[in-house]
Amino acid sequence: MTLTSLSIKNIGHNWLRTILTVVGTAIAILSFVLIRTTLSAWEAGVDNAAQDRLSTIHRVTFVMPLPKRYFDEFNGARGRIDGVDVATFVNWVGHKHPVRETEFFATLAVDTATYFDVYPEMSVAPDRLAAWKENRQGAIIGEALAKQFGWSLGDEVTLLGTIYPGDWKYRIEGIYVATKKSVDRAQFLTHWSYLNDSLPEGQRDMIGWVASTVTDASRAADISAAIDTKFDDQDVQTRTMSEKALTMEFLGGASAILGALDIVSLVIMGIMMLILGNTIAMGVRERTHEYGVLLALGFRPKHIATFVVGEGLTIGLLGGGLGLLISYPLVEQGMGRWLEENMGAYFPYFSIPTSVAALALGMAVVLAGVAALVPAYSASKLDVITALRRIG
Amino acid sequence: MVPVRYNVRNLLVRRTTTLFAALGVGLVVFVLAASLMLNEGLARTLDRSGSPATAIVLRKGSDSEMPSSVEDRAISLIKVAPGVKQGADGQPMVLGESVVVLFQDLANGKGKSNATLRGMPLDRVQAFRPEVKIVEGRMAAPGSDEVVVGTRVVGRFEGLQIGQSIELRKARAVKVVGVFEADGSSFESEIWGDVEYIRSAFGREASVSSVRVKLDSPAAYDAFEVAVERDKQLGLEVMPELEFYSKQSENTSMFIVAMGSLIAVFFSIGAMIGAMITMYGSVAHRKREIGVLRALGFSRSAIMVSFLLESVMLSIIGAVLGTIAALGMGLVEFSMLNFTTFSEITFQFTATPEILVRAIVFGGVMGVLGGFLPAIRAARTPPIEAMRG
Repeated sequence: MTLTSLSIKNIGHNWLRTILTVVGTAIAILSFVLIRTTLSAWEAGVDNAAQDRLSTIHRVTFVMPLPKRYFDEFNGARGRIDGVDVATFVNWVGHKHPVRETEFFATLAVDTATYFDVYPEMSVAPDRLAAWKENRQGAIIGEALAKQFGWSLGDEVTLLGTIYPGDWKYRIEGIYVATKKSVDRAQFLTHWSYLNDSLPEGQRDMIGWVASTVTDASRAADISAAIDTKFDDQDVQTRTMSEKALTMEFLGGASAILGALDIVSLVIMGIMMLILGNTIAMGVRERTHEYGVLLALGFRPKHIATFVVGEGLTIGLLGGGLGLLISYPLVEQGMGRWLEENMGAYFPYFSIPTSVAALALGMAVVLAGVAALVPAYSASKLDVITALRRIG
Repeated sequence: MVPVRYNVRNLLVRRTTTLFAALGVGLVVFVLAASLMLNEGLARTLDRSGSPATAIVLRKGSDSEMPSSVEDRAISLIKVAPGVKQGADGQPMVLGESVVVLFQDLANGKGKSNATLRGMPLDRVQAFRPEVKIVEGRMAAPGSDEVVVGTRVVGRFEGLQIGQSIELRKARAVKVVGVFEADGSSFESEIWGDVEYIRSAFGREASVSSVRVKLDSPAAYDAFEVAVERDKQLGLEVMPELEFYSKQSENTSMFIVAMGSLIAVFFSIGAMIGAMITMYGSVAHRKREIGVLRALGFSRSAIMVSFLLESVMLSIIGAVLGTIAALGMGLVEFSMLNFTTFSEITFQFTATPEILVRAIVFGGVMGVLGGFLPAIRAARTPPIEAMRG
């Protein structure tokens, strides 16, 4: 019998405790994976945001609009910008569901002629698209939103205005599906011209932002600078950047929460180490007599220490493995699918990254090893006589 | 009943495992207490911003000041509504403010976030918000391009030190001339300047975001509300200021509490298993002692109570440690985006006696649940067999 196999056999010494420890470790790993996956799902928004699509917004505050004529400088009506392929404009409308007011979704008033050219990853059947363009009170909605509120083609829908007061009536003319996961599948897209015509004189001809695709993503920074220079001597200055850069900046506001979650994921590792350390320390105490026997048989203190650490590593590996095994069905299949379906706007991707899985397993094993160090050290310092004399 | 001293001594004898298990419970209690304190801090900061007998008028359907707009001609109607208090200067106490958020670089270099810029008639601030005190520099002059910044945002964003300026649009910058304190309210997370200068910089002349009104007494509220909301053409909505601010924290607060509780419950399963391991170990070790106790005439239930008590003591030690650590968080400032207003708000972890008691009780319950099965095993130990070893 080798030392390793003896070490593994030893974990059967107290079955109940081993099982409890493994389960405790597994739950800690499950929590760790859950938190880490949430964090990376959040950041996945950045990784998947387009680098070849630019957003042009008000320079100092995204709540203030731009004059509509700025858009004409993009599409050829007044001019063109070198390197810009297609452009569209969007206005945030901020409607609410009349009854389920707390369920947030994005209502956007868009330029019907160009919107879907700039966002090719949102796909609509050509006949539905044509029908939408025809009906100025028409709306195209995301599949997730249709499911959420049980809306289907041809439905008449009344939404509640917040920024633009009143009741707004629309007819669902189309439903788009996302061909990339980074797309918000819960948008409600309406005609900008319909909104504009409904507004009082003084508020007309304003847009939220311009979105444009560039022919060459590597020139995105230069093109952005060129756009901003163009409007620099106007009343309202602009700020243009890639969708990716914009998303990254927005994460700045959430950094405190992300930081807190980060710390919390380390706390659970601390709890796990305490459970493991506790178990190993108790095992060592109970087996002092056995270690005495081993020492008397001629094993060296380092063998005893290896023995204790080996046991810790085995339990850590078992717990970590079990934790990952339950994480996949629970976090990825259960929760992840649910979040992608219902909260796609925040979590377009929710699956466990390989790096998180590897980190979790690694942490379980390493922390188990560390937790075993102190008991291992004290076990290796045992004196044969006292160890043999000690019972329990 | 078995003397409590017996349990205390036992915990002391096995101090390493006691400490390990207690710390596990402590960490869970820490997470729970910290999230409750965070929520309390947010609620208090916003609550302090509102005062009784003050109403806020917004455009109907607006959740916050930012998307709202109230035309100047509506303000003159509000001024003559019933119940409006007259100030010392004989003017009605009505304050129209323009609120925008500025997307600014964070001073820590971690991207950008939204800072609230509030434009107001600066000469009337003192009458409306007497708690506001300038702690550095001086007050911004009415009608000028000067601004003062709250103590909580000075270091949070780039460009907010005294003497620096922020460009609102080309050749329209605001200069920081002072830093103010506002009794720990959310105003301390804002930048204040002159309403005319700010609204014209954004091309929003002739309207403001919100109107605050001091009333003669809280009892005058109903009549005031009816009078302002009666005119459907204006499309306005009136709310008591206190209620407005508690609504502002609703979403964010729900998020913090839900996340904190979810994590605490998850983690507590782990920590309970830790306590269970310790208690099972303890029971196994003391089989002989339990036999002796039984032989001395202690009943099964006395044994069970004794072990449960020990488990609860163990977890209370942890809970107290965790709570003390959470109290330490009281020194930490936390900045986050308020989901309702889309702007940053900075606040402190705030402890209340209720939160501390709740955290410790939670720890105690973990002890009861974790110690239950081991205590049953202890109670079921047959005395004769146990004493034989």
